[in-house]
Amino acid sequence: MILSRRHLSLAAGMAAAVALTAGALIASTAEASPAAPASVGALAPGFTGTNSNGESVSLADFAGKTVVLEWTNDGCPFVKKHYADPPLNMQSLQKSASADDIVWLSVISSRPGSQGHVSPEEANALTTSRGAAPAHVILDESGDIGRLFGAKTTPHMYIVTPEGTLVYDGAIDSVPSARVDDIAKAENYVSAALADVGAGKPVATPSTKPYGCAVKY
Amino acid sequence: MTGFFRRFAVAALSLSALAGLAHAQMDARRAEAELIADRVTVAPGDTFYAALKMTMDDGWHIYWRNAGDAGLPPRLILKDGTNLPEAAIGEFLWPLPHLIPVVEGEIMDYGYDDQVVFAFPVTIPKDAIGQVQIVAEADYLICESICIPETADVSLTLPVGAPVENAKAGAEIGAWIARVPVAFGGEARIADAAEPWTLSLRQEDGFPESAQLRFFPYQHEISHPAAQPQRAGPEGASLSLTPDRAGTIEGTLDGVIRVDVPGAEPVGYEISASRGEVFAGTADREVQSALPGIGRLGGAAEGNALGWQRIATLAFFALIGGIILNLMPCVLPVLSMKAIGMVQAAASGHAGELKSHGLWYTGGVVLSFLALAGVLLLVRQATGSATLGFQLQHAPTVAVLTLVMFAVGLWLMGFFELGGSVQNLGGSLARRGGAAGAFFTGILAAVVGAPCVGPFLGAALGAVIGQPAPAVVAVFLAMGFGMALPFLILSFVPGLHRMLPKPGKWMDTLKQAFAFPMFLTAAWLLSIVASLAGAGAVGWTLVGATTLVFAIWLGRQGGAVRKAVAAVALAAAFIYPAVQANVPEASVSGSSQGAFNGNYGEAAWSPDMVEAMLAEGRPVFVDFTASWCASCQVNKLTTLKTRKVQEAFKNANVAFLVADFTQKDPMIADELKLRARAGVPMYLWYPAGASEPQILPELLTQELVIGLVEG
Repeated sequence: MILSRRHLSLAAGMAAAVALTAGALIASTAEASPAAPASVGALAPGFTGTNSNGESVSLADFAGKTVVLEWTNDGCPFVKKHYADPPLNMQSLQKSASADDIVWLSVISSRPGSQGHVSPEEANALTTSRGAAPAHVILDESGDIGRLFGAKTTPHMYIVTPEGTLVYDGAIDSVPSARVDDIAKAENYVSAALADVGAGKPVATPSTKPYGCAVKY
Repeated sequence: MTGFFRRFAVAALSLSALAGLAHAQMDARRAEAELIADRVTVAPGDTFYAALKMTMDDGWHIYWRNAGDAGLPPRLILKDGTNLPEAAIGEFLWPLPHLIPVVEGEIMDYGYDDQVVFAFPVTIPKDAIGQVQIVAEADYLICESICIPETADVSLTLPVGAPVENAKAGAEIGAWIARVPVAFGGEARIADAAEPWTLSLRQEDGFPESAQLRFFPYQHEISHPAAQPQRAGPEGASLSLTPDRAGTIEGTLDGVIRVDVPGAEPVGYEISASRGEVFAGTADREVQSALPGIGRLGGAAEGNALGWQRIATLAFFALIGGIILNLMPCVLPVLSMKAIGMVQAAASGHAGELKSHGLWYTGGVVLSFLALAGVLLLVRQATGSATLGFQLQHAPTVAVLTLVMFAVGLWLMGFFELGGSVQNLGGSLARRGGAAGAFFTGILAAVVGAPCVGPFLGAALGAVIGQPAPAVVAVFLAMGFGMALPFLILSFVPGLHRMLPKPGKWMDTLKQAFAFPMFLTAAWLLSIVASLAGAGAVGWTLVGATTLVFAIWLGRQGGAVRKAVAAVALAAAFIYPAVQANVPEASVSGSSQGAFNGNYGEAAWSPDMVEAMLAEGRPVFVDFTASWCASCQVNKLTTLKTRKVQEAFKNANVAFLVADFTQKDPMIADELKLRARAGVPMYLWYPAGASEPQILPELLTQELVIGLVEG
């Protein structure tokens, strides 16, 4: 039987190509399996985003510091409630966090064209006009970071310890409403959790049901 | 683009700012709210129904008592001027809500659009005189794509005296109270030992055949957006629930079951499920999700788009799976026939001919896969289930396939030539024959390749088998195209075909050599005939093979009479063995099961057996296999039957169960479907004490299995 060398190398080449495709398939299936979602008590998922000044911001940049993540959408009435003046609820939380060397990240996951989606300039203008004091405003228009944490509403709050552990996931406070009057009646879960973290204690209420508008993915 | 979005965002912002302004003026709300009552006048001590009636603008919705992932339920806040004690005014009766898929698969809300009436009981104090008055603020969040909190001042004043009914309002309130879920007449249990949880609902006579169920929880124990795959049986139905990340059940799981039957008003049942095992007879068969917004393919436009994306992904994997199918040993000999055809075409110097060869071949493969999809859909329609490889469970089909393989072997050997032989170089007749030959090769490759469910195809098929018809067709098309793709590329890309070797005598030799895999395939198929229909059928298949050779021999003698006799013999060669092989299934199933297991030396699988073994505290390994499944045999040889693995099983006291799918077995088919697998192999591993198994990869390794057993 005359099997030319070319014939053999062609067959070998094809087999190799198919084997490579198979390998790529296995690799991509492995990657396609959903990453473990953020869960309280576990390490917070790492992420890198772009802030309103065009700089790259990673969770890893803040290792050693407590980090607060706030999902926000300035058009959402529940967000408006907490930024209302008075009582400047969110702004004072941000300022007191900053004073305690806590990193506050406001994340906007609204897709382009939806409520709350803003340009970097608009984001900075909003920060100024509302007297807000986040360390960074992260523009997440793809929604990747939001999905990574499983953010459902605006506001939706997360707290990460200096060691990188997620210790709070949920609502900003205990009264789900869009009424400014209710802020005074509510127990603020975020300031309570931050106090626990600061005192080196486990967070008393680590997980609550967030309330607000749906994140505009 | 960004500019457009920015302008859009600014416009949206200014709109919402305007909305805020408009909100200050009470006439621009997105819903009308009013209080109504089923009385014109009330008597002291009387209990009657009042209601908050909400009429929403088009596209806007308000929420149920549990709003789901986002949103807030409406409420009535009593204000000064109300002359009834707070205790006199009861809670809202919440009509059955519908799903509001805000972001498909990610954010799900529960609520109402158009109109809704929240009735509530009111009890008039015995000492009431003059008139009773309810003055309140309806406080509600109303959403479209954006949300707006609104309030509306509402009031109701009723003179106290002899009771007089308000027929019109009473009828309206009554109609909405009729939509409030009633207590479930049967029993509800939640099996939460393993994820996903199973909510099992038992009631006399079960649910209607076409009933679609959805569970709406009062709290947030479960993931709201997750699909709730439904199963049913004669005693009721069950839903698979995905727990929320932090979801645990304290005491009972409470909520509402919405039952949708086509052509009828949906019905709601209030349930309080205690923790426990799934009721028997509530999870026997899978129920396809058909309702918009309830199934995996949501009813919302956005949902459909995502559904198509998922189908596209599946089709892509099916394409790659199809390419890999080329490597399957049962396809390779057929493909080599094709390769020879290509060498011929290249030698004839016509690039066009090479292209047409590739196209005809692709046509043949794709058409066969399309036919397979059609058959699968028809079978699914007829039986409610379909499993790939089923054609190899039908003895007559296998007998005929055996003879086809034998005939192809004879042809490869050069015993006879098909019209427009591939050996003929050049000439228009050969060219036409080549095209037909390529087409036929494509069909043959697909028919032989389809049962070889490669490990990669299994997952895609399993995912698609319960999908709507277009998805099934799309995936099968992609798979067929993938299978034909390597050769299509080879025939189209200039230069590549020049790498094909020059034709020569080696081709004949090679072609004849390829006859042996065909004969071996025939032998393998014959062994399946034996296990399906017994020795008699094998005998008749061999007689058929002899008749086949006789017919060909006779046909070559020439002469009209001889040719006619040859044709009759040829037909008989195929038909008679098929008839003989078609023995009643029941009479052979026992013996074949015994024979196979005898060779394997292990116990037969059944769900009860698994339960019994688990109850004894033993870990369980289940091998879903079939004698016609090549991957199964490979895994058996390289892993399961090896001494190392056998010893590991023995040391860990593993109960090794075999589910033999060589013949169609509804119990095994159900289990495959439950695990979203299209066919065998499937390997399940229940660690000691576990109630839900781990599904192992379709390609096993010794390390993997031993690691599981010892770990």
